Formats: sequence, C-alpha cells, structure tokens
Amino acid sequence: MGASVQTIPIAPETDHLREIPIGKMAIWWFLASEIMVFGGLIACFILMQFAHGGFAAEAEHVKWRLGAFNTLVLVTSSLTMILALAAARTKNLARTRLCLLATILLGVFFLCVKAFEYTSEIREGFVPSSGMFWSFYFGMTGLHGLHVIAGIVLNITLLIAVTRKKPWDFLQRRIEFAGLYWHFVDVVWIFLFPLIYLT
Amino acid sequence: MNQGAETPAAETPVAAMIDARAESSLYLIVWVWLVLLLVAGLAIFVLPIPRTVGVVIIFSIAAIKAALVLRNYMHLKHEHILIYMIVAIPALFLIGMAIALIPDIVYRHHLGG
Repeated sequence: MGASVQTIPIAPETDHLREIPIGKMAIWWFLASEIMVFGGLIACFILMQFAHGGFAAEAEHVKWRLGAFNTLVLVTSSLTMILALAAARTKNLARTRLCLLATILLGVFFLCVKAFEYTSEIREGFVPSSGMFWSFYFGMTGLHGLHVIAGIVLNITLLIAVTRKKPWDFLQRRIEFAGLYWHFVDVVWIFLFPLIYLT
Repeated sequence: MNQGAETPAAETPVAAMIDARAESSLYLIVWVWLVLLLVAGLAIFVLPIPRTVGVVIIFSIAAIKAALVLRNYMHLKHEHILIYMIVAIPALFLIGMAIALIPDIVYRHHLGG
C-alpha cells in the first residue's frame, strides 16, 4: 500500500495543482465535528457562567498552578509531535521514534497530573454532582482526557509502525494525520485552561 | 513494502535537510512564543487587574496561542480555502448559537422574566 494516494481534486477547471488527500480531508471533517462537541460544551459553560453571575467561589478550589503546568506539558507535546513529522519527512528513523516516544510520555504525564488533580479535588469533597461548575469541570476535562488517551493510543500504534519500518510515505501521512488530531486536542486545552482555571 | 536497509540520512537530499532544519527552528520559535504567552496569561491572572479587562486579555492571549498552533503546527497557513471553510463553518455556527441564547439568559436571569 502507500504508493498511490487517493485525492480529491479542488476546482479542477481552475486549479489543477491543488489536491487534498482524502485522509487529510477526512481528519479535518472529523475535527470539525469535534469543534461542535467541545464548542457546544464550552458555549454552554460560558452561558451558564453568565446566567449564574460567574463561578468565582467554585473556581477558587481548582488548582490553577497544576493546570498551567499541564498546559506547558501539552504545548511541549505538540512541539515533539510536529518534530516527529519533520523527522519523518527527512526519513530520520531514530529522531521520528524519539519524538513520538516523547509525545506519548508527555501525554501520559499530562494524564498523571490530571489524575492527581482529580484525586485531591474529590478528597476535598468536590465531585461531579457537587454543583453546576463541578459538573462542567469534570465533564469537559474528562472528555478532553479521553481524547488525550485516544491520541496516546494512536501515537503508540505509529511508534510500532515506525519501529517495524513501514514505508516512509505511509508513515509521513499517518504522522501528519495523527499530528492534526493531537494539535487539535492541544488547542481545545488552550481554551479550557483559562475558561476553567483563570476566569 | 518495507524501508529495508535504507540509510535515511545518507539518502536525504541536502536541500531537504536544510528545509527541515529551518522548519524545526520555526516550530521551536512557535513553542517559545506559546510558553511566553502562557506566562503572560498567568501574569494577567495574578496581577490586580479589573476582572473584565483581565478576562478579555486572557482570552485574547488564548486565541493568539490557538492561532499559532493552527497556522504553524497544523499547517493551516498552507491549506486550501476548503479546509478553512470546514473549520470556520462549525466555529461560526457555534458562536452564532451562543450569541442567539444570550438575550434569553439576560431576560430570564437578570431581568426576572
């Protein structure tokens, strides 16, 4: 597989050169649906905040320092993910493997910090049923965490594919698509962090 | 098909290597900006700034960070207009829905309707 890439021609009468691979098109459609999922939740949270005059009292109990640290972890994992793609494009096997492994480890680290955060909040008595703010907090960060887990699984399969020395054009495409997903998860967190922890 | 006994570095054209190095430098610069913007957002949060002003600045910073990731890491700046539309349409739809609900919330919760 891998030698021929199926593409969707874009306005063939006027622009013969621009073609979008079907895989890339599919991942962007998927991300568009994800915008609706996370965007819907975020919009509901903002509207609820507006309706209740803010969640300042509840927000004082979340650990913004841990949230900020996790933002740094996720942003760094985005860097390692894009460096994995750059390495794959130059067919540098060792660097591709290293960058993918770093992305996976940073993703796992993000989840560990989040788990620690959840544990301390639950010990303080804040559970999803503790109120509107906590329902949204656990719902949004939990859904985001599930996406991080999916991204980690995806990256593990890619790491295995790289280790098995699959063809480079196959790897480059898969790393690019997985990267698009991973960066999207990062973008979601970029908005979730100030929304939950800083406002 | 398999990579086999390929020696990647030796087979990579020099121009491609230089391009890749320049690309990696750009990614690193973007990461530095993302970290600086994160620190700026935290500074706004910690400093005694009026809440409304602080919230506007913090979300403006978040929007800049998201744009940096979308343009550089997700390569949106090189993508076709169709990809922009796929992303923009649900985003605009969401913003429209949220704005459409605001009058109802103001009426019910703030005007006692």
